[in-house]
Amino acid sequence: MSNATLAGSRPRGRDSPPSVETTSRRRRSSWWLLLAPILAFDVVLFLTPLGKLVGASFADSAYQRVLEDPLVMRALLNTLTISLASTVVTVVLGYIIAMVLWRAGNVARVILFAVVLLPFWTGILVKNFAWAVLLQDNGLVNAFLQGIGLTDAPIPLLHNRFAVIVGMVHCLLPYAVFPIFSSLTSIDDRLGLAARSLGAREGSVFRRITLPLSVPGISAAGLLVFIISTGFFITPVVMGGPGDMMIANQIDYYARQLTDFSGAAALAVILTVMVSILVAVYQRVLKAGGQHEDN
Amino acid sequence: MKTTNPQHRLLVLLSIPVFLFLVIPTAIVVPVALNDSRYITFPPEGISFAAVAGFFADAAWTSALTASLQSAGIAVVIGVLLGATAAIGLHGRKFPGQSAVVGLILAPMIVPTVVLALAFYQFFISVGMVGSIIPIGLAHAVIATPYVYLTTRASLAGLNPALVRSAQSLGAGALSVLRHVYLPVILPGLISGALFAFSVSIDETVMSLFMQSPGATTLPVKMFTDIQFNLTPKIAVSSALLVSVATIGLLLQVMFVLKRRSSARMLPLAVSTQT
Repeated sequence: MSNATLAGSRPRGRDSPPSVETTSRRRRSSWWLLLAPILAFDVVLFLTPLGKLVGASFADSAYQRVLEDPLVMRALLNTLTISLASTVVTVVLGYIIAMVLWRAGNVARVILFAVVLLPFWTGILVKNFAWAVLLQDNGLVNAFLQGIGLTDAPIPLLHNRFAVIVGMVHCLLPYAVFPIFSSLTSIDDRLGLAARSLGAREGSVFRRITLPLSVPGISAAGLLVFIISTGFFITPVVMGGPGDMMIANQIDYYARQLTDFSGAAALAVILTVMVSILVAVYQRVLKAGGQHEDN
Repeated sequence: MKTTNPQHRLLVLLSIPVFLFLVIPTAIVVPVALNDSRYITFPPEGISFAAVAGFFADAAWTSALTASLQSAGIAVVIGVLLGATAAIGLHGRKFPGQSAVVGLILAPMIVPTVVLALAFYQFFISVGMVGSIIPIGLAHAVIATPYVYLTTRASLAGLNPALVRSAQSLGAGALSVLRHVYLPVILPGLISGALFAFSVSIDETVMSLFMQSPGATTLPVKMFTDIQFNLTPKIAVSSALLVSVATIGLLLQVMFVLKRRSSARMLPLAVSTQT
């Protein structure tokens, strides 16, 4: 590899086309130059800050300190329960959408895809702001509930756990739709046709063919959504109450309120390790599900 | 397809509230911003541009808008340069440690934003880079770059490496191979990636929140700070601006997906942990 750099600077004549050997050497010499910028950038601005963060987490027995903090324990528990609840709701709703997309004709599919993608492209603050407007005491949802006579006075829909889950599910839905949709499209249509020709009803085609064969998509969607859920920061603040703070909020609290960097760093490392393990599992699930991901 | 069978009709019926759940929040933002009332309500009582005028007359909001555009500019330029060169450099190659390199390139998408926010906060203080939009733009570039890498890689999927080799064997230098072989192929991926990078930066809140300073407060940070006290018409205007940007991004994206099936495959990969 050491002569690779030299090969690149070798003069080449117009009338003597380079041999196969020099061509392949030149290729070898140039490709790493293309990777150098991103590697340098990521080492300086990604690995170094993260390395410093890990280093800081080992100062002042930070791990012991944060793990003994009842607020942290509560935030961890909140993260787990809120993420699980959001994941279950998201996967169920995502399945319905994926089924409709799967069954839709070409034009309808494009339009519905756009509908799914619009919140995907919209920032989380905008979405949470919109939900806050809808769920406030004089908002549309309360007006609707009073209009149909379900309640006389506004129900507190905002600044509680219900609102956090609504906000999170709204952000997470697109992430669940794509893996489920992709596992549905990989199901051989002939299986359903064969079952129907043998007299199976739609319900049992779904229960005995579609659902089992889309399990890889469901598990991939569930894991992906759960992974993203654990990092939520904005939604618990904007839509939740004081009792709904999650682990990301606790990191912020340690860093910016208590100015306890080592404590914040320890929490950040705990969150990252948790997420990394889940990501590793997620990639296993993707591979096992036979979805073509080449990284 | 099979609208005639009752199970399918039940499915469609079941999905209507879910689609409404997805769409309504984004759909109400623009009418709320144009509401002719001092309160934030939906449905609006009448149409007025007073809140929009108020937004653009308020220096705190316009400077936040400027800061957001500046950081997005930095993120797009760095993201496109680094993401595209990396995708070309890795195209059609196998070498030891390759998966580690790809892993490093994609890693910023996986690390929770709040963790990166804390890491950058500490890092930029330690190197004395605080109080301007530049560290925020650089931080956005870190999370935007993997998106450009992915979109460029997706557009390169159809390019036969033999084409590059034959261009080289005919005497084409590195630059002309880049211009005449790679550029036409990756252009849709580059544009798509640039859109992603712009959108990632313009919506990013947590890192910007940690690194904010009086001269460097982005639009989402201003929104986040204000939302906690009150829902005001200026937040609605800011939301409407961001929704317009998102809609344009979405329309362009749909155009590319329709044009090139390969970029559709990339969409589920676009994992963003900006939450």
